[in-house]
Amino acid sequence: MPRVRTLIVGIPLLLTAVTAVSLWSVARMSSDKKNEMYIGSIGEPTTLNPLQAADSAAASVTGVIFNGLLKYNADLVIEGDLASGWSLRQRSTFFFASPEEAVQAAANMESQLVDRAALHLQKYTVDGDRLVLELGMPGVSDSQKLAAMFGVAPRAAKTIGITAPKPLGDALKDFAAQNPAAQIVRVWFNGNLGELVFLGDAAIVRAALEKFLSERTGQEGLVLEDIVAPPFLAEPEVIFTLREGVRWQDGAPFTSRDVKFTYNALMDDRVASPRKSDYELVLSLDAPDERTVRVVYRRPFSPALESWMMSVLPAHLLEDVAPDQWPLTFNRAPVGTGPFKFAEWKTNQFVRVVRNDDYFRGRPHLDGIVFRVLPDPLTLRLAFETRQIDFWGVDPWAVGSFRKDDRFTLFSAPSNSYNYIGWNLRKPMFQDLRVREALAHAVNVDQMIRYVLYGYGEQSTGIFTPEMWFFNPKVKPFINDPEKARALLAEAGWKPGADGILEKDGQRFAFTLITNNGNAIRSDIATLVQADLKAVGIEVTVEMYEWAVFIKNFVNKGEFDAVVLGWALGQGYDQFQIWHSSQTGPDQLNMVGYKSAEADRLLQQIREEFDRDTIIKLCGELQQLIYDDQPYLFLFVPQGTSVMWKDAFRVRRPGPDGTWIDEPVKMTKAGWSAYLEWFYRPEYAAQLEN
Amino acid sequence: MTAFIIRRLLVSVVLLFFISVISFFIITLTPGSPYPWGELNPKVSEEVKRVFREKFHLDRPLHEQYAFIMRDLFTGDLRSIKDERPVLQKIGERLPATLVLNLGALALSLSFGLLLGIYGAKHAGRPPDVITSIIAFIFIALPGFWVSYLVAIALVDWAAVPILGTHTIGVAFTDGAQVFLDRWWHVMMPASILAIGGIAVQSRFVRASMIETLREDYIRTARAKGLDENAVFYRHALRNSIRPLITGIGMLLPALISGAVIIENIFAYPGMGRLGYEAVLERDYPTLVALNFVTAALVLLGNLVADLLYAVVDPRVRLE
Repeated sequence: MPRVRTLIVGIPLLLTAVTAVSLWSVARMSSDKKNEMYIGSIGEPTTLNPLQAADSAAASVTGVIFNGLLKYNADLVIEGDLASGWSLRQRSTFFFASPEEAVQAAANMESQLVDRAALHLQKYTVDGDRLVLELGMPGVSDSQKLAAMFGVAPRAAKTIGITAPKPLGDALKDFAAQNPAAQIVRVWFNGNLGELVFLGDAAIVRAALEKFLSERTGQEGLVLEDIVAPPFLAEPEVIFTLREGVRWQDGAPFTSRDVKFTYNALMDDRVASPRKSDYELVLSLDAPDERTVRVVYRRPFSPALESWMMSVLPAHLLEDVAPDQWPLTFNRAPVGTGPFKFAEWKTNQFVRVVRNDDYFRGRPHLDGIVFRVLPDPLTLRLAFETRQIDFWGVDPWAVGSFRKDDRFTLFSAPSNSYNYIGWNLRKPMFQDLRVREALAHAVNVDQMIRYVLYGYGEQSTGIFTPEMWFFNPKVKPFINDPEKARALLAEAGWKPGADGILEKDGQRFAFTLITNNGNAIRSDIATLVQADLKAVGIEVTVEMYEWAVFIKNFVNKGEFDAVVLGWALGQGYDQFQIWHSSQTGPDQLNMVGYKSAEADRLLQQIREEFDRDTIIKLCGELQQLIYDDQPYLFLFVPQGTSVMWKDAFRVRRPGPDGTWIDEPVKMTKAGWSAYLEWFYRPEYAAQLEN
Repeated sequence: MTAFIIRRLLVSVVLLFFISVISFFIITLTPGSPYPWGELNPKVSEEVKRVFREKFHLDRPLHEQYAFIMRDLFTGDLRSIKDERPVLQKIGERLPATLVLNLGALALSLSFGLLLGIYGAKHAGRPPDVITSIIAFIFIALPGFWVSYLVAIALVDWAAVPILGTHTIGVAFTDGAQVFLDRWWHVMMPASILAIGGIAVQSRFVRASMIETLREDYIRTARAKGLDENAVFYRHALRNSIRPLITGIGMLLPALISGAVIIENIFAYPGMGRLGYEAVLERDYPTLVALNFVTAALVLLGNLVADLLYAVVDPRVRLE
């Protein structure tokens, strides 16, 4: 049977031979790159619809396909993107007992007004019993200063927020019509949410409203809450002027209709956008003409401006398609206004975008960008080393070796995130400030940065990170001083017991520190903290849980002693949900139970302030206040480092006065990719048009 | 024969029902939620979460959720929670890549397993057999992910060849042969690592079965007739020893479909294993249930086919 024998030996030989040839072929394949950029990411985008995506993989793809009305420039200053300009205004309405009083108040104000411009007052009108101020700057403080000149006290407006079990429809309008005594001055509703502003007696109105609504919509799930709002109607306005001549990638013109559509889609329950809450304070959005969009807010909320960096969707493609069809169509093949057009998405492999020749800022230099999905951290690195991807987010332990190698360019910056230990302030042992200060002195953060981050990080000084424009650099970090820690603990009544562990009133200073497994940095932190605290006589037990269990069973319920966690923050300064005393319930984000009247006031004020300098001042105060209170032991801000093959790209971007700036890829405040559309491969430099 | 097939199919349907019930409830026992935007995102309001739960029936009791999933699975409307695409479409997308990868691994396991097994049997008890046995045991003991990393690092360090995905990206190929060889290379890397265990196991099966067969009376008779030793070995003994290979194929069928979780992840290979793995991490219940269901159905089918093949190759086996 020589034939069978040949096959038995021949098939394995053949397989081996073809594989050997294929290795040879792949190895000698031309290494010349196409004029494209290759970016790797561990995760796969969930969707390419920027309204619905919440993952960073999707954000990096949609970031080059779409534009928002506004954007952060390379220095993290807000500038126009699809909007060529924007202006801010506010209308503040005060209510008086009678028209005579309103006239009187206006006259008193007029007589005391010294500097209209300083208070941004543009004009005022008296309308019956109302005095309406039109201001060139939104916020509360200017109006309050003007109100102090009235001489006559205006009537206080109160606000009730409503969450109903089903859409409210016209229920609130009907209620207003049937209850003249409530003196309702503004009604707002959107789906299940509503809001009433009124002058009548708060308790009576609330009771009447509750009764009315439970008859209309049912009782279960009906929530009424008194909203902290200025005692007058403060309605800020943002007016966007849209850029001329912008076209969608399919050739249709971009107009205010698209903005309006995007806003409506965000508010549509069927779209289930994780960004919806950013727009819930919008009272109305209208488009007076093709180039203008006017947004009116229910009350001053300055972080809202940032929400207009949200990508705008094409109305002409989506208006007539039900949102539940989007995942099958638009979300897999989006059309935007950005520098690159969607080309193909091979699931679990890559998303490819190609150059948009009609991009409104000019033709990008690269032919395209390929976003590869490489789910394993090690192979991501291998892909970088074989130049299958051009960039790589280096692990801290590897930064040193790349830094020494001059074939690479490194981009390093403190990340917008920090790690911390949260003390559960509901537990008696952590309620004494001296104890929390002692803990901060006892833990050696420098050593932690050295061992955990290989030195690539800095000590955190509170709720903001150093790259943010409102960061307060004057906050001094706690220094490692075990002696001082012992002294503070002794002062608080904790004395060493028989086994060397501190005791007070018969209770040992022992607690459990929990974190999630699968995160090496957090488990290392826990171990180091355990050792540092042992040295001052505190016994720490470390427990680790799977992420979902950790969040659901412990963190969200507030059932823990201390927790190792981190916050990854955006560019925004509003941290109301993390620190306000109203956010300490189950499933809310102030899980350590921090309550401070002073912090509450600052958090509210920051939201209502639009002036950049004042925001910086208030944020600085807030950062200092919370750092002094030590509800967290703020540990460190890790440094993020990306590495690029030095010869891979250069940047050639439009300069300030029509010139072109040609430079190596540089780190900016907004990261290395701030000028992504102007990257080019030096070997294709001859093709550049400008 | 027909009665046998019908009976087996009926049993399979019942089995499939229980498998789907158990897999659904085990999956939902896992803590965690399928929110695509993480648990601690301050921007996601309760309202949005509620709408999301309603959309995927997550607000219903578990048995109703199960009913919804099964209904949608059979009407073909079952959508993934992650990206809201039809689950069957997602599975269909991955199937070709997984089939190619596992057919490659199967070809390697069978061909090399047969070669090594026969070689060992032929030299039973002598040094060549000892050496192949040791190799087989080492292969069985090697953890696949570890070998994958070593191979990947070695190839990148020494040959600087791309190894990830199904093909090299960003290179202009000059001809069809290059495209073919590039694909072949990208499949053969993970496939040969997947095949390591298969080769070892197959070779042991073939070796044991050959040695057993060689002791049979009819082999002695054949030899006594004075038949050429090669004819005895390759015609008479081999044909009767390949039953274990069929068992092997039967066992490998589920792997053909379900993919290889770890290896697919390391080599960034877009197969079913990765789909399942990602669905677990994302608590994408519909995708998981559908995947389990499809895999279980194919396993049952594979077993049935293996049993039928037995009867075909070995007349001594009767299907009642």
